[in-house]
Order: sequence, then structure tokens, then C-alpha cells
Amino acid sequence: MDTIYTVISNFIALVPVTLAQSLILSFIVLGIMLPFRTLNFPDLTSEGAFPLGGCVCALSLAGGAPGWLAILAAMAAGFLAGSCTAFVHLRFRIHTLLAGILMMTMLYSINLRLMGKSNLSVYGTPTIFDGIPFVEPGFPVSKIVVAGLLGIAVYCLLNLYFRTERGTAMRAVGSNPDMAEAQGISIWAATIGGVGLAGAFSATSGALMVQSQGFADVNMGIGTLINGLAALMIGEAIVGKQTIRRQLAAPFVGAIVYYQLVSLCLAAGMPPTDLKLATGLFVLAMLALPTLKRSRGPMPAREAIRE
Amino acid sequence: MLEIRSARKVFYKGQPDEKIALNDLSLTLPTGNFAIVIGSNGAGKSSMLNAISGALMLDSGKILINGDDVTALPVHKRASRVARVFQDPMKGTAASMTVAENMLLAELRGKKLSLNRGLNAKRLASYRERLAALNLGLENRLETRVELLSGGQRQSLSLIMATCDQPDLLLLDEHTAALDPRTADIVMQATVRAVEAFNLTTLMVTHNMQHAVDFGHSVVMLDAGRTRLEITGAEKAEVTIPKLIGHFGLKTDRMLLAS
Repeated sequence: MDTIYTVISNFIALVPVTLAQSLILSFIVLGIMLPFRTLNFPDLTSEGAFPLGGCVCALSLAGGAPGWLAILAAMAAGFLAGSCTAFVHLRFRIHTLLAGILMMTMLYSINLRLMGKSNLSVYGTPTIFDGIPFVEPGFPVSKIVVAGLLGIAVYCLLNLYFRTERGTAMRAVGSNPDMAEAQGISIWAATIGGVGLAGAFSATSGALMVQSQGFADVNMGIGTLINGLAALMIGEAIVGKQTIRRQLAAPFVGAIVYYQLVSLCLAAGMPPTDLKLATGLFVLAMLALPTLKRSRGPMPAREAIRE
Repeated sequence: MLEIRSARKVFYKGQPDEKIALNDLSLTLPTGNFAIVIGSNGAGKSSMLNAISGALMLDSGKILINGDDVTALPVHKRASRVARVFQDPMKGTAASMTVAENMLLAELRGKKLSLNRGLNAKRLASYRERLAALNLGLENRLETRVELLSGGQRQSLSLIMATCDQPDLLLLDEHTAALDPRTADIVMQATVRAVEAFNLTTLMVTHNMQHAVDFGHSVVMLDAGRTRLEITGAEKAEVTIPKLIGHFGLKTDRMLLAS
């Protein structure tokens, strides 16, 4: 009884910190969801765009830029990374996943070059989390407020965008590229723009993380992709993905729930080193679930296997 | 008006399995003309349609639509002039999007896209009206995702989408071949209605000889990548299935079976 009590009290004590962290990381989940679900472009760039955003943000902060400007600089860098992946795929007909791996690998060196060393401390520089009235700076509440408001703003803007003529066209490219092209929609413009936008969101996540933790590290991206994917699966299981509104809400809801679950597992005494195995198994289970449901009958033909 | 001038396309050039898809094919289709394209498998019908729509770039030759040279334009730049309905009902619609969204994409074909709201009340009302003309009940399913419709419904939707904006050129690629006879009939009637109502310049590829006899102002027969025969005017009015099949030679059992 005592152990359960300790686990729960440990978990509850961590809820605000975890919430702040999950809101910051919800942007990378958004950056994974956008190409995957709206453009049918499974993309791995985010694992490189996240630290890229962090590095660019840290450099900007170290150079004296205010927090919001550092985030804008990170977004621009992330957009460039995402659009490069899309270009490599479109121009050289390289599979989207391979294009993403190439970009992610090259970004590691680029990040190192940018910072000149493997990590950069920006502790004490002013951040976007300062200046929230009535809240002590540095306390998780300010991070929750800032990241939460940013998340709500991005959610609303994307929701509006995907209902405009251009947004509808972008979704058509993901749904049926041949048909979209026959309707006069440029596949290149939609893919480069869409994957670029996703890269910008992943980089935003990295920039917010750097401002939150006070340092950037070239290795900060490792594992973010699988965590993001797990969060996305949870989000889609909870809110669904039938409409644009639900599909866009899934990354945010998923990130919040997923990181609380991780925190609960850690509070219950799971060794942190096992976390990746557990996350991997979880994503695998979520992807495998639909095939287990129709286990009767022969295995589907290879061509029929999707997702 | 569509003009194809000595269009040539060779696949696997210089390799043992070299295939001449279009062998200096020339064809002129006057404005408002509804032509039926027939020919055995591999005669170059699909290659011709792909070349016109821009999905296939020519090795040499020219394609002009209403006098403008479109030979070098990619698919999305020809979209404002050319509309196409495919044989496969899945191809012409965006499956995971709703009926209304598909109609919107068709209405915006080839236009400059804005950041205004796509589906407004005015547009929805006009879509409802257009779909009601089909008598398939689609007007009440505007919010349904297209993947939940039957093949016939999807193909009818593709047709409405292709004709709604009165394209300079309508390409129909065996668009009733994958449908059951009754649905094929509905789609074919809707096709004729639309083509006549807007006086559309139309190319319809078909393996159905009855359709070739019943519909259109002219019949074009392709063979080995070139036009072998053009039947127009009074001669077209008197054409019969046996006469058409006579032109094919003996190798085309599929024609007989299909008729």
C-alpha cells in the first residue's frame, strides 16, 4: 500500500513539469503527423530538424536575440531542412523514408558545425517563457502557459488553413497525387511546402526545449521520432482522425497523454534505460492491432500492406 | 479543337524490348466534336490520352489545344484545359476526402488558389444541385468520404467533376469498363447529357463496339501507334458493329466478346 502511495505521489509531483515538457514536444508530434497523414509522406526529418531548431535557437540566444526571434530563426532553418527532404524525394525519386534518413544524418554534422561543439549553454539568457505576468519565471506554469497558448494558436491556424482552397489542395496531394495533379495542383509546391512546414514545427519544438532547459545538445534529437510516433498513435486512438479537426488535435492530445504515461512508468520504478524498448513495443502494438483484429483468413498480400 | 501532329513516343529505346507506343500519330478533333477511339490492346490508345493530358512526354511531335502548343507543359499546367475520367473509379477522385471537397477541387481545376474558405454555402448549394441531376442520391451525401461510395457512384462523381467546368477537352478513358451494365448505362447517359449540353470536345476510348456505334460524331481506330481509320459524318451514322470489327482483322477476340 505504501509503495502505491509513493508511486502516485511521485507521479503527481511530476505532473506540471511533464505537462510543460509534453506541450513543448507536441510540436514535434505535429511535425511528424503533418507529412505522414496529410501528404502521405512518412518522414524522418524531424529527428534532425528538432536538434537543428535547438542549435539555431541557442546560437541566436547566445548572439543576443530575444526568445521569439530565436524561435523564428529555428523555424526558418527547420523549414529549409524539411523542404530539402521533400526536394530529394521529388527530384531523385528516393523513397521518403530514405530521404529523411539522409537528411537526418547530414543534419547531425551540420548541427555540430553550427555550434562548433557538442553542446552550448544559454542558461540565464532571456527566453520566451519570461514576462508572463503574475508567474515566477522559470516555474513550469509559465512554460505551460506559453507553450499551451502557442499550441492553441497553431492548432486554430492550421484548422483554418486546411479548409481554405490551398489547404484543400494540399490534402488532395496526400489523398491522390495523380488526381490532384490532374486538377492543376502542383505536387512539388504542395509537398515542399507541407514537409517544410512540418520541419518548421519540429524545429520550433527543439527551440522551445532549448529555451526551457537552458542548453542545446547535438544529441537532443535521439529518440524524439519514436516518442512522437507513439504520442501520435495515442492521440489518434483517443480523438480519432476522421475529420481535419480531430486529426489536428491528435498530436496535442497524444503528446500530453503519452508523456504522463511515461512519467507514470518511471514513477513506478521502470528503469529509464528500458524506455525506448517499451516505447518501441508500444508503437509496434498500435500498428499491429488492426492486423490482429482480422487474424482469421490468409495473410494479406504484400501489396495490400499499408501504413 | 485538338491537334496532334506526328506524335512519337518510344519506350525502352535501344533495348531489346523497345516498344513504339506512338508512331508519328496525327489526329485533328474540331471543337465540339465527340470522337470515339477504338483499337486493340497495345494500339496506343492510353499512350495517346496520356500524351494529351501531359502524363507522357513526347519524343517528338506537337500537341495543340485550341491553337496553343501544350507539348512541353506538365500535367498540372494543362489542367485548366483538359479534364479526364479514368477507367479505374479510384483514380479520378480523392478517396479520403468528402464528396463536397472533391467537387471543390474540380471547380478549382487550373485556377489560382486563394486562402479563402474553400467550401462556402453558395458552393455547397451549387454542388447539391449538380449532383441531384445524376439521380443517385449523391446530393444528400456531400459530407461522405468518397471511399465509402460504390464504384458507380464514384465514377459518376468523376464525370460530374470533369465536366462541371466545361473543359476545352474531355478525355474519357474506358470510363464505363469497370462498371456493371446498369451503372455503365447510367454513367454513359450522364456523359452524353453533359457532352451535348456543353458541346464539349471529347475523346472517348472504349472497347465496347456498341458504344462506338451508338455515340459520337466520329470513330477513330488506332493500330500500332497510328490512326488507321477515321469514320466521320454520314459514314459514321451508318456504321455497324460487324463493319467495325471487320477493320480489326482476326486477332481481336476481345472486341467480339465485348460486343
